[in-house]
Amino acid sequence: MANPILEIRNLHARIEDREILKGVNLSIPAGELHAVMGRNGSGKSTLSYVLAGKDDYEITEGEVLLDGVDLLAMEPDERAAAGLFLAFQYPIEIPGVSTMTFLKAAMNAQRKSRGEGELSTPDFMRAVKEAGATLNIDASMLKRPLNVGFSGGEKKRAEVLQMALLAPKMCILDETDSGLDIDALQVVAKGVNGLRTAQRSMLVITHYQRLLNHIVPDVVHVFSDGRIVESGDKSLALQLEAKGYADFDSEPA
Amino acid sequence: MYFYAAPKSTPAPTSLDEVDPELLAMYDKLGIPLKEREILAGVERPNVAVDAVMDSVSVVTTFREELAKVGIIFCSISEAIREHAELVQKYLGSVVPVTDNYYATLNSAVFTDGSFVYIPKGVRCPMELSTYFRINEKKTGQFERTLIIAEDDSYVSYLEGCTAPMRDESQLHAAVVELVALENAEIKYSTVQNWYPGDKDGKGGIYNFVTKRGDCRGDNSKISWTQVETGSAITWKYPSCILRGDNSRGEFYSIAISNGYQQVDSGTKMIHLGKNTSSRIIAKGIAAGFSDNTYRGQVSAHAKAKGARNFTQCDSLLIGDKCGAHTVPYIESRNATAVFEHEATTSKISDDQMFYCQQRGLDGEAAVALIVNGFVRDVLQHLPMEFMVESQKLIAISLEGSVG
Amino acid sequence: MMLKSKMPVRLNAAEETLIAQLRDAGDGAQAERLNVTGLPTRRVESYHYTDLKMLLKAVPPLVEAANSASAPALRVAGAYQLLIANGVPHPGTTAPAGVIVGTSDGAALSAHDDVLVRLNSALAKKSLSLTLEGSVDPIIQIDRRTEGAAAHSASSARIFVADNGSATILETYSGSSEAHVTNNASYIAVGRNATVTHITVDLSGDGVTHFATNEYVLAEGAKLRTLAIHAGSALARTQIFARFAGEGAHGDFGGLNLVGDGQHLDFTLDVNHGVPNTTSQEMFKQVGRGRSKGVFQGKIVVARDAQKTDAKMMMQGLMLSDQAEILSKPELEIYADDVVCGHGSTCGELDADSMFYLMSRGISKPEAETMLVRGFLEEVLDPIEDDELNEALTAVIDDWLVGAKQR
Repeated sequence: MANPILEIRNLHARIEDREILKGVNLSIPAGELHAVMGRNGSGKSTLSYVLAGKDDYEITEGEVLLDGVDLLAMEPDERAAAGLFLAFQYPIEIPGVSTMTFLKAAMNAQRKSRGEGELSTPDFMRAVKEAGATLNIDASMLKRPLNVGFSGGEKKRAEVLQMALLAPKMCILDETDSGLDIDALQVVAKGVNGLRTAQRSMLVITHYQRLLNHIVPDVVHVFSDGRIVESGDKSLALQLEAKGYADFDSEPA
Repeated sequence: MYFYAAPKSTPAPTSLDEVDPELLAMYDKLGIPLKEREILAGVERPNVAVDAVMDSVSVVTTFREELAKVGIIFCSISEAIREHAELVQKYLGSVVPVTDNYYATLNSAVFTDGSFVYIPKGVRCPMELSTYFRINEKKTGQFERTLIIAEDDSYVSYLEGCTAPMRDESQLHAAVVELVALENAEIKYSTVQNWYPGDKDGKGGIYNFVTKRGDCRGDNSKISWTQVETGSAITWKYPSCILRGDNSRGEFYSIAISNGYQQVDSGTKMIHLGKNTSSRIIAKGIAAGFSDNTYRGQVSAHAKAKGARNFTQCDSLLIGDKCGAHTVPYIESRNATAVFEHEATTSKISDDQMFYCQQRGLDGEAAVALIVNGFVRDVLQHLPMEFMVESQKLIAISLEGSVG
Repeated sequence: MMLKSKMPVRLNAAEETLIAQLRDAGDGAQAERLNVTGLPTRRVESYHYTDLKMLLKAVPPLVEAANSASAPALRVAGAYQLLIANGVPHPGTTAPAGVIVGTSDGAALSAHDDVLVRLNSALAKKSLSLTLEGSVDPIIQIDRRTEGAAAHSASSARIFVADNGSATILETYSGSSEAHVTNNASYIAVGRNATVTHITVDLSGDGVTHFATNEYVLAEGAKLRTLAIHAGSALARTQIFARFAGEGAHGDFGGLNLVGDGQHLDFTLDVNHGVPNTTSQEMFKQVGRGRSKGVFQGKIVVARDAQKTDAKMMMQGLMLSDQAEILSKPELEIYADDVVCGHGSTCGELDADSMFYLMSRGISKPEAETMLVRGFLEEVLDPIEDDELNEALTAVIDDWLVGAKQR
């Protein structure tokens, strides 16, 4: 088996006085897609924020390596440059900044970190158009301010578009299915599946098994009370669906 | 206008029959229980912790012994000056200096009495403390002075009620209220003000110029002002919070109703000095008749008030096209980390709401009262229960005659 | 206030000079008035945050300037330019179709209880006079310039847009960086069903004190869009006085206060809905850097019988420095009941969640900051449809962003 793209070792994190992550261990090899499932409030979204570097959280213990490099020492933009991408559960609305302007800035920032020159406008347009086609994203959506007034489906499609354009090695999808109807879910899933390669790893965080019918995981982890309590193949997700989370609670309810 | 008069030495009424019948009619409308009416009218000694201040003189304070057991001092300020001089000396005038404004100066010069409350460290006051203010005397002003001190980790809820019988002349009420909240202390101060507003032509009524200020002196302290202002010919009143202690919090919840020829100019000041201080302002103004109703408020964050937060919501409702509603906020940010949000709206009662209520059989006045009570709900719920019910009725009474 | 001081005011050097200048201009009454009241202090409500007596240290002599050969600080391709130099209008000899240009004696503003209006009315000798008919194609640019050594000037323009007409008017203020004091006035009457865009951009030099009063009168069915940008001067105050005089009129009033280190920039707005069935929207943004003061005072007045008024005002402040101050006083003064009026005012620093989102996409912290500030500011330009004009105004913001960083 190849070296892991993402390696989380005994990760503890808290917000103010409340410990939320209580010793997370997770290793995702290249090309694999792992799903983390857990009930609301189990800390799985915190995991995604901590990995992406949101500064509301304090890491008290543990380490995270991205392709062998210490992730926790980096600023959020440095983590992105190193190949980490978080598809937000609630993408942030930024009035006054057009989606196009934003995409260009993000792509150029990444090229700069690799020592490459800025994209020419035609090349940029071509790249956006190609990536947008499978996601049903048209030009008018790109002219609008970033995420402002986007429907739930549009926001999630825009996240996957960014993922496609930035071509990260590690993608984290946080509750990507929330707020989507079945048609929108299929479009998003198709976009995500199209980005699966032998080199790229993915971590899908979800509450429901539904998404995993469309984005099929290699490994499923059950998350409870700030840590992974069970791991298995995709059948674990079905088992969860049938029996609920109660069996996996670290303490009896 | 007459300034000051102590109660005449004529004996207090011995039964309700001797009390101003118009006043009793008002109590009837308010649904105030007979017992309480008697207390208010000064017939019988009250059975709640009440300090009754008539014509600026504290006439009776109850439940003192019980309160004294936990170390709480609740007495008239004149008594406090005699008995607790060191406390009075330390705190009186420390929040509202003598020279603060004309009416504060006047008060400082002529005040004769008022209420004094002292809550010792770690004590949660076991009952609501209450003062009823009455202006009985003709041709008089009232200049009471209230001082409340909450030591570290203490809590007190204080209620203030104001009434006055109808008089032709205008009378002046120029009170000063000072609150001091020390570390982790909380003071909740609620007012229902129903001074005589003058007659239907705007003759007579109380001029209500009150200086109320709370000092959140200790870290994590909290002061909350809730007011229902329905009376007085003219009201100028801005209960304020100085948020000096770190993490201290100020709140202002206000309902101001003006009808007839009343003029209300009320609001608050939230002065953020300490770190991570927060404040919340919810002000609901209702203008009817020929009245003018102004919200005037100030929110300011000092350069050192890192992380200060304010949220303000001011809504005005106009009933009829002869009144005015005005909103004048001063929002002053001197700190990049301060976050201020202010929102204000002015509108009339929606025709659709009125139609719906009327279709269900409510007459115009009842429908207005119902809708207005809904409009002010966010504030009402901050009042202690006994004031809440009274206030709902008071709102309905205040708006009588507003629907043409 | 109930207690008014009966003491005569002590006059400072600026007031003495102004009084002398008013006397020289033959307006003894105004001179006497100023002699009694002095310049407004913070106790005068409309100057609460801009204490002129304290801020206006000196007033230079009234010096007129000849025609200028240099170009204005802001150029828009194809614009028809008219120059006012140190208050003196220089109307061109040719004018585009639908434009009648000339000068008229005296000042243009209506009487208003305001010291800047009174000074302008007393001191402006001539007004640039414009009548615009039909659909005027080129942008009309009034290039107001301060020339030469420090001078006090009063400049005035009177613009009539005929019924059913349409026009875009751009006014720019620029020139020498000496300690000029300029008092500018524009009176714009928007005719029945006419459509007008009026943009003012202050690009005055570092030492300049810039005052401007923009008075608007909207006739029945008129549509007015205004945008005022402060991007220069040491002390600036733009007063916007709008009066709705005809039913069915609509006004959009916008403003951008770009306040850098050492500056005190003030927008004071008074929108008067005097007749029924009119609507307005006000959107002002302020950004503060360094040690600076940004002021917004905005009042919506709805007259007794102006039923069905719909007016919404918004002020958004962005603080980029701990020594910046953003002061805001939005006001509603409502005398009619069947109205929908409101205002909002927010103030804070850059949104942490937005910063995190941008950085999580690989955008560096300084770049993300600039992007958010630019996005915040350039939003007010969205409604400006003319591409050339929009680009020119975008450049004003971008230049400020770059320049302000160096401060």
